[in-house]
This record gives sequence, structure tokens and C-alpha cells, in this order.
Amino acid sequence: MSQTPLARLTGAVKKYGSLTALDGLDLAVDRGELLALLGPNGAGKSTAISILLGLQRPDAGSAALFGEDPQSLDARRRIGIMMQEVMLSPVMRARELLLQVASYYPSPYDPAHVIDRLNLGAIAERPYGKLSGGQKRQVQFGMALVGRPELLFLDEPTVGLDVQSREALWKVLRDLVHEGCSIVLTTHYLEEAEALANRVAVMTRGKLVAGGTVEEIRAHVSRKTISCRTRLDAAQIRTWPGVQAVGDDNGRLQIVTREAESVLYRLLAADTDVRDIEVKRAGLAEAFTEITAASTSEKLQ
Amino acid sequence: MSTTTAMSTGRILAAYATDIRFELTKMLRTPAFALPTLLFPAMFYLIFGVLIGAKNGPAEGLGTFARLTVFGTMAPGLFGFGVSLAFEREYGTLIYKQALPMPHGSYLLARMVMAMMFAAIISTLMILLAVFAAHVPMTAGQIAQTFLVQVLGVLPFCALGLMVGAYASGQAAPALVNLIYIPMSFLSGLWVPLQFLPKFLQQLAPVWPSFHLSQLALGAVGRDQFGATSSHVLALLGVTLLCFTIAMRKLGSGGMRLLGGKSTSGGTVSFARRVGGLAAIAVSIALFVAGVSGGTAKVVAAPAGTSETASAATDAAASLPAGVPAPADTALSDFDHGSDRTPYGEGWHAGGDETRGGNSHATQKVVDGALVVSGTVGDAIAYPFAGTVFFPSGYEPGRFMDYSGKHTLSFRARGDGHQYTVAFLSGVQVDAIPAMVTFTAGSDWTDVKIDLDSLAALDRQRVHGIVIGSLGPPGDFRFEIDDVELR
Repeated sequence: MSQTPLARLTGAVKKYGSLTALDGLDLAVDRGELLALLGPNGAGKSTAISILLGLQRPDAGSAALFGEDPQSLDARRRIGIMMQEVMLSPVMRARELLLQVASYYPSPYDPAHVIDRLNLGAIAERPYGKLSGGQKRQVQFGMALVGRPELLFLDEPTVGLDVQSREALWKVLRDLVHEGCSIVLTTHYLEEAEALANRVAVMTRGKLVAGGTVEEIRAHVSRKTISCRTRLDAAQIRTWPGVQAVGDDNGRLQIVTREAESVLYRLLAADTDVRDIEVKRAGLAEAFTEITAASTSEKLQ
Repeated sequence: MSTTTAMSTGRILAAYATDIRFELTKMLRTPAFALPTLLFPAMFYLIFGVLIGAKNGPAEGLGTFARLTVFGTMAPGLFGFGVSLAFEREYGTLIYKQALPMPHGSYLLARMVMAMMFAAIISTLMILLAVFAAHVPMTAGQIAQTFLVQVLGVLPFCALGLMVGAYASGQAAPALVNLIYIPMSFLSGLWVPLQFLPKFLQQLAPVWPSFHLSQLALGAVGRDQFGATSSHVLALLGVTLLCFTIAMRKLGSGGMRLLGGKSTSGGTVSFARRVGGLAAIAVSIALFVAGVSGGTAKVVAAPAGTSETASAATDAAASLPAGVPAPADTALSDFDHGSDRTPYGEGWHAGGDETRGGNSHATQKVVDGALVVSGTVGDAIAYPFAGTVFFPSGYEPGRFMDYSGKHTLSFRARGDGHQYTVAFLSGVQVDAIPAMVTFTAGSDWTDVKIDLDSLAALDRQRVHGIVIGSLGPPGDFRFEIDDVELR
């Protein structure tokens, strides 16, 4: 079977007046993967998604869903959508909303199945307007799921959910991927991407600036943090070669460096009594910050 | 691969049906929409048609019924499209629906059918009230026509609402729609018949789509209407197409494709589409103008007397056409050939006040070259009447003759010595007090001459009927007339 990407942007450019939202973006979503699309506000994530959903056309480049025009109904009958800010009719009940969306798909799930799977039984017959913010998000997630899609677009799916509901939704997402469903996820919660994504794509200023597994992205950042208790003076360590910053956290020093090994060697030599040494690699959050900051400063130069 | 995603026709039809069903459910569950839309027209009709209007007689009752039903029909289209669309545009619902694989055009179709169903419910309520509460006489055919006119008549207002919803913000839309709805229904004579409005407003009336729908509605119940049916249909078609095209262009420029189809890149409109849109606008304006000017020409200048011209007595404007020009004949009736016919018009007809609930009655016959009218004036109602009436241009309400070239009505009379009255039914207001002159019919033939110029209450351009008879006192009466002339 040929591996046509389920969704693909090729050299996509989109401008709003003088603002360039997408600057030649290449992006492909493969079968069975959960791709987390990350980027600071205004990076072009929403524009990229809305072009893939056929809501907008790129000024240049191309977009395809299942090898077809994203505006074709056939292509969109294979995707499920959860948007960030949608107001649905407050007088309709959750079950009715699911039923209505299900009717648009060729072989949807029974709404009862979705209600069951997402544990919405208690709210299924209540008017949507009477639900809490988190419950509304769960119903919207159900509406994305009910069409039995091959590809799900989820924009900030867990905003407003309590920890328990978030964990439950994460589990459903993992199960879906396991069942072969592909997911494109945009999120502000980097731990969410870290917990779920097979692949991360980081965007800034309309371009892809980093891509790969979470591990690969983290490795992108050579910076590490050495934390320890020492009698050495923070100001003194700051002068060592390779040290970028030193912080003092209640007597624990936090030494940030790209050359952890040599700094560690010197630390052990300078203070034989040094205790509680911990070396931490950058998390996705730090990597993300670093990648986006770097690409911004490149841009400025 | 796409075989698995192909959707059967059955499922696609079911999707359309589901959208319709849920749109209707949604609107019925929204009291701010459903209650005023369904109940206001019936409530106003109860007040103006049943409680206040009942004494105005069946003809006026039909007019009130037709006008207020149109008022009801406007609302589901204007609010269902205008307010809902503006909200859904503003709060992301429309974008979401656009991204979903909703079948082509289902968004519009569901709302259209919803509005038509609301119009159907409103019409049914109004018909029930008219028949069972106001006791307005309507045939099954008139009921069916009313239903059809109202249910289809909702569409121009759907298009108008769509246009408002395409431009207005969610916050502004309800106020904006009301600002269109209420003044427009007033200005097109739905609240107060047009002839009570200032003349320039009457002349402006054909600009409003609700004016054209109200004329069709009046036609449906057999009331006279301004202008030909076809001109109203054209005007409504034009308005519908125009508003729809403008709305689609506005929504399309924002990336919305409510009819389905595909947009070109970058949101730019292709040349062909642009030309197509402009052509649609041009055609719709042409249709509307043709309809409006058709209607206007008839209102302002058409001669009355033919079946399709404007001459409704109560719904008509004061700028109503004058009646049919009176023939040059001066002699109306000399009854010499044993007939009560007249050279034009409906001849003389004896009658009482039974239609107003009274018990007066009269009969007439031609005896020895004179018209003998006799009968009894009853006491069942105030202002009883019995006598004979001449309708120069037909007895249907709104048939007028232009007698502006005549100055004197003369005839000879004799009788039982009672006082009798000549009354001229004229002008557009059926319930206005007619111009009246009295004479006494003694045992000898006497000449009666009435100077028309001196009658202030006579609208000589629009004379509907000339009445000669007794207004009482109650009891038997008998008089004869001969040699009736108008010169």
C-alpha cells in the first residue's frame, strides 16, 4: 500500500495583507501517528489547520486531504474536527448534537457508543447550554469522534478539563491511535504533547522550525541543568567557560550549560564536598522555548 | 480507497432530513424566536380582526386576515435567517459547520424549510381564527391559496434575512431585523390600510417586498389587489434573487460556501464567478423594477374596471385611480320598456339591511313605465334601510365610476308621502358616511334635482353606488321613480 500522507501541505503560503501567516509550510500527516503541532501564538498553526480543513485556500503551494482537495466532501467525510471556539445551540441535547453530526458520515459510530466511550451518559440528555465548560469540550470531542474518522483534528482539546477528565481523554486518544486513527493535535500544554505525540512539529512565523519525535526535539537542545549543593559561590561559577547561567534555589545552585560534562568535572574538582548532584536534560517545554527563541532571533538578524 | 467513504444517496438524504428536523426542533425550543413568531400574528388578529374588526363586515375582515397573516409570514424568514446567521457567523458555529462534511446547501435548506414550516403553522392558526373566531367567510379554494401564498411568501424574507445575517454582527442583528420588520410591515399597509397613510408613503409602498406579498394575499382571498399578480410575483422573485446573491457574495468573500462547491485560491473570486454574480444582481434588479413599476403603474394610473386593475375599496390608496369614466349618456333609466336595467352598470336592485343584521326589506317592479319600490323598514338595527340601489360600475366593493363630468342627478318621484333619501356611496372608505339628500314623495309626481357640486362628502371620481330609499321610520313604505338622469 502506497503511503500517501493523510493530510499534506506543500509549500503553503498564506498572507493577510502585510502579515505572512504561512511562509512556505511543508507538513504531512501519516497514518497512525499523533502529530502535535506546536508554536507560539501567531505562528500559523490555526491557518495551517484551516487550510487543511478546506476553510481557506493557500495563496501559493497546495493542500491535500487523502490526496484530494480539502474542500471535497468525500475527503472531509474521513476526518473529525474539534475546534477551539465554537458556540453550539444551547437548546440542543448532547445526544442530538452527536446524532446530527453522525448523519453527515458514511459509517459513523452509534452516538450511544460515543456517549459510552466518553462517559457522557449523565449529560447526554441535557441541553448543551446547561453544561459546564469542560462538559461542553467533551461533547465537542464526541462530535469529532462520532463520524468514525481516519484522521482527527483537535484544537486545544483539553482546555477547561479537570485533571481526571484530561487523563481520561488522553487515554481515549492513545487508544484511538492504537486502533489506527491519526490525530493532529494543537495544544498549549507541552506536557500534553510530551505525553501523547509520536511526532512533534514546531512552527514559528509560518514555517516549520523543528520536527521529529519528542526525544529528538528534546535532544535538539544540548542545554542541561546541573543542580547541586556546594560551598562554591554562584558568581564564581558563572565565570567558568561553558556556563550560561547560575541560579540559587534555596541553597541549591542551578547551573545551566551546554557542556555539562566539563562543567561537572570542574565542579567536582573545585568542591569535593559537593552534594545532591542532579543533571537534567531540557524538557519539551525548554526545548520549545529555545527553538522558537532561536528562530526568532535568526529572523531578526 | 474512497469506496469506503462513498456515501449512499439514502444516507445523504437522511442527512438533509436530520438537519431540517434539528433546525425545526432548535427553533421551536428557542422561546425568544418561537413565541413571538407563532403567537404575535394570531394575537394581533384576535385584537384587530376579531375583537375590534368584527363589526366592519366580512370584506374588511378578509383584508385584515390577509394583511396580518403576511405580517406573520415575514418573521420566520427574517429572524430565522437574519439573527441566527449573524450569531453563527460571529461565534464560530458557521466555520465549524463549514468544516464538517455537511451535504451541499443543507445549512440553507434546513433553515428555509424551517421558515416555511413556521409560516405553515402561522397560516393554519390564522385560518382557524378567521373561520371559527372572526367568522370570515372563506372558500376552501381561498384557504388553499392563502396557505400557498404564505408558505412560499416566506422565501423573499429568508433571502432578506440572509443578507442581513451576512453583514450584521450577532449583537446588532436582532435590533436590525426589528428595524426592518416593524417599519416595513407598517409602511406596506399591514397594520393600517394604505389609504390611511400619507400619500408619499402610499406611493413608496411598492418598494417593500411585504407590499407585494400582501397584494398576493389579498388576491388569494378574493379581495381586489393593486396591480397584476404577475408583477408582484416578479418583484418578489427579484428581491429574493437580489438579496440572496448579495448575501452569497458577502459570505463567499469570507470563505463561506453555504451552497457547497469550491472556492478558488486565496479567496479571490474568479472572473467567471464575478461576472455570474453581477449578472444575477442585474437580472434580479431588473425583475424587481419590472415588478415594482408594474405595480406602481397600476396604482397610480391604471383605469379601473378591468379585472386585474387596482381598485380595492379599503386597501386602496387615496391615490387610487378614479373610477371608469362615465359614458356620455345622460339618461339612466326611464323604465319605459318595462325594465329596471340601465345603459351601463348593474341596473337597479331592491334591497334591505339584512346583510347588516337588520330586518328591513324591499321589492321592486316596473309598472307603467316607472319603478315601483315597496317594502318595510324594520327596527332590528340602528340606521335601518330599504330601497333600491344602482351600481354604475359593478357591485363588487371597489368598483367605481368617475362622474366628475356630471353635475346634476334628477328624477321624478311620487309615493306615500314619506321622506326618502338619496345616498351616494363613494370613495375608498366603505364605512364612511355617504353623501345624502332627502326628498318627500307625495301623491303627485314631483321633480327631484340634486346638485352634485354641493355635496361635500361625495367623491365624484369614485362613485360606487347610488341609493334611493327609506331610512325609516319603521313601517311599510312605497314610492315610485322615473326618468332618472345624470347630466
